[in-house]
Amino acid sequence: MNLNIFIQHFINALSLGSLYGLVAVGYTMVYGILRLINFAHGDIFMLGAYFVYFATIVYKLPWAVGVVTAIILTTICGLLVDRIAYKPLREAPRISALISAIGVSFFIENFAVVVFTGMPRPVVQPPILMKPIELSGGVRLIPLGILVPVVSFVLVGALLWLLYRTKPGLAMRAISFDIEATRMMGVSVNKIIALAFGLGSALAAVAGIMWALRYPRVEPFMGMTPGIKAFIAAVFGGIGSVPGAMIGGLILGFVEIMSVAFFPTLSGYKDAFAFLLLIMILLFRPTGLLGEKLEDKI
Amino acid sequence: MHRVRNLILTIIAVVLFAFFLDKAPDILNGYWQRILNLIAINAILALSLNLIYGITGMFSLGHAGFMAIGAYVSALLVLTPAQKNAMWILEDIYPWLLNVNAPFVVSLVIAGVIAAFFGLLVALPVLRLGGDYLGIATLGFAEIIRILITNTARLTNGSLGLKGIPAHTTLFMSWGCLGVVLLCMVCMLRSNFGGVLRAVRDDEVAARMMGINTFKVKVIAFTLGCFGGGLGGALMGNLITTIDPRMFMITQTYNILMIIVVGGLGSVTGSLIGSVLVTTMLEWLRIVENPITIGSINIPGIPGMRMVIFSLLLIIVIIFRREGIMGMREFSWDIFFPQAKAKPKAEPHESDTVLEVRDVMLKFGGLTAIDTLSFDIKHGQIMGLIGPNGAGKTSAFNVISGFYKPTSGSIKFLGRSIGGLSPDEVCKAGMSRTFQNIRLFGHETVLQNVMTGARIRQGYHWWMSLLPFVFTDVLREDAAVRAQALDLLGQLGLAEFAEEQASSLPYGAQRRLEIARALATRPKFLLLDEPAAGMNPQESEELLQFIRRLRDEFDLTILLIEHDMKVVMNVCDYIHVLDQGVHIAQGTPDEIKANPRVIEAYLGKGAA
Repeated sequence: MNLNIFIQHFINALSLGSLYGLVAVGYTMVYGILRLINFAHGDIFMLGAYFVYFATIVYKLPWAVGVVTAIILTTICGLLVDRIAYKPLREAPRISALISAIGVSFFIENFAVVVFTGMPRPVVQPPILMKPIELSGGVRLIPLGILVPVVSFVLVGALLWLLYRTKPGLAMRAISFDIEATRMMGVSVNKIIALAFGLGSALAAVAGIMWALRYPRVEPFMGMTPGIKAFIAAVFGGIGSVPGAMIGGLILGFVEIMSVAFFPTLSGYKDAFAFLLLIMILLFRPTGLLGEKLEDKI
Repeated sequence: MHRVRNLILTIIAVVLFAFFLDKAPDILNGYWQRILNLIAINAILALSLNLIYGITGMFSLGHAGFMAIGAYVSALLVLTPAQKNAMWILEDIYPWLLNVNAPFVVSLVIAGVIAAFFGLLVALPVLRLGGDYLGIATLGFAEIIRILITNTARLTNGSLGLKGIPAHTTLFMSWGCLGVVLLCMVCMLRSNFGGVLRAVRDDEVAARMMGINTFKVKVIAFTLGCFGGGLGGALMGNLITTIDPRMFMITQTYNILMIIVVGGLGSVTGSLIGSVLVTTMLEWLRIVENPITIGSINIPGIPGMRMVIFSLLLIIVIIFRREGIMGMREFSWDIFFPQAKAKPKAEPHESDTVLEVRDVMLKFGGLTAIDTLSFDIKHGQIMGLIGPNGAGKTSAFNVISGFYKPTSGSIKFLGRSIGGLSPDEVCKAGMSRTFQNIRLFGHETVLQNVMTGARIRQGYHWWMSLLPFVFTDVLREDAAVRAQALDLLGQLGLAEFAEEQASSLPYGAQRRLEIARALATRPKFLLLDEPAAGMNPQESEELLQFIRRLRDEFDLTILLIEHDMKVVMNVCDYIHVLDQGVHIAQGTPDEIKANPRVIEAYLGKGAA
């Protein structure tokens, strides 16, 4: 493997990993606060991709406008999911909300089949993102491959700023420690939870849009596998930790791309790596790389 | 008498249904026969997942994987060599596999056993995880199984799948299998082992303190559930006659989950009702996806609509009727025969070092919870452990009862070192405890709570409970334990509540029930964690008498954590005081009352 090909794989892994990370951040925020695996998160990601497809390709809006519209619409969907399917179950056993989440995921996927049909639709990539740049040494880079990780890192950086430097961020971190105590401090808990869902959905929308540009197509079940893998990334990094989710996503991206790059015979098993990683980390370090230990009080 | 009557009614119902199945091929068309078959298969799958999730409380999303294993094993066994030769196009089949063959019924059993074997392999590592992690890990295993099936073409024919499987699954086959599964499961759930499974679900910590090796119990339930998954998968393959890896996606597990949620988690009856409803509905909903012509109007089918409606119903059920149709209730013929509730009768009824704690230290990272604690308790003593909040009292209890391993130091119980033992082993050694925040098996009856405590004294193995009519020890021992439990309830004044749900009891009675449950393990040493918490002066006065009576009647040694000084000073023979993990004082109640360090710890410097 020469340097050029290695760099291609590296960029590829970086892009894929940061996309996983971006989706994983949404999982980790919701789980950190509500202890709920938001199974519908992968499907929110799919909606983001569809909205941008319709905005730019069907309704011919300019890209910038289309992307903003798609993010807004996806965020609204994320908030609706919380409001309709999870909020009535806040006081219920956690497992009820989890089953509701499975139901919502199912619903969004099949609703997409009904509305958008099950046919994959091709996405037209803006030429400016696809024109290769020549670097010294014959290395060619596609702008999209650079754009994806850069956008992801900037967004996660902004999120960390919000979490650690602003009042709502403080409230969000407080809720993850003790929701009742935070409520008694006069924090409007439901608004903060909605904020977490909104932020997570917006990030998922961005990830979905970039995913659609990378693979150039959209289809109703495109969120299923990346969704589960991103959750695994969140567990790997330590559920509840935003930097952990990003690191977990990157590790997963590198493992998937590099193992197939170095051992092409393994390509059929590509989708199994994430689950193997998950089982390994759960056995040897159940709290993930950056997670804190949660213990039941006896 | 009720039991004889109910048995007769059950037999009549089964015979009538068998008669119906016999005539079904003449009355029903192929479509309805297929639905009837699917109902039975889905019921087997739902019962097995319910055993894992609803009854034992392990959130597993891996059922589709075990179904896949069962379906492939059975199909590979019943397909003829000629069929196999024709089907493996891309790669050659393994020669040994080509000629392997077995009759259908044998293939079903092997399918279940191999699925159970994989279940065991999965269970050993992942059941150490709890809650959601278990769900996502089992989902991962199911996906890995699917990916393996797709990629091991020489074994499974890969993504092409298997076709032309003989349609062995007849109505008698599917319903017969369901009957056997149902019988075994109902017997097991009615035995005290079934009570143990539900206890593990309701409160694993308390179950361990009842001497139950909860990990082993969970592995057993999970493996049995996987057997059911494999059996159901095998029947499914032989009904549909074609299988491929895409059939066993997570959607398949969700369908089964839907059945048990609609029916009621933890209810066998619910799983059966759920199977009928969900199976019929899923078939019926196919209408919306097919074009319909009414007169001259053509309504085109809407692809995907079936699952949209299905998932909406799932969400509606979980939001508006979380407990499903049956909740945790079960069907019984008794509902047709109104009767007065029989109240169980109960009649009232009888020095060396028990515990030696030496230099025990407990650290969590940098935090020292207990700093070198040493004390002895002699037989028949009532010893108090007091101290301000955060003094490390409950931590000391947790170390002694095996929930925490001490960082250093030794604990000897009846002359035997118990330093590293787990709670269930500690319990078997003769120690039991209650908890600060009452931990009952809330969904169970008062009687069942106490019976769970007696499980460690029963000799029968879990698998005997599947066939209690063969292994009559199960029935005899359960009856004995039941009688003893009723007796114990009578002694503690709880007899009138025997059939009530534990969580519905008044607070004081819940405290006493927790003690009764602890006593059912026949301990020699009892740890009471704040028994007077939340009691009014009148009640704590009664508690004083009660604790003394406990010691005398049950020949106990007691260690007590308590904040109510009146209780402590009146009932304890000797008292140890902890403050911020440090053992600051010990002595008789009078000595402690006068000790300036104790007063300082409670009231602050200067108070003494």
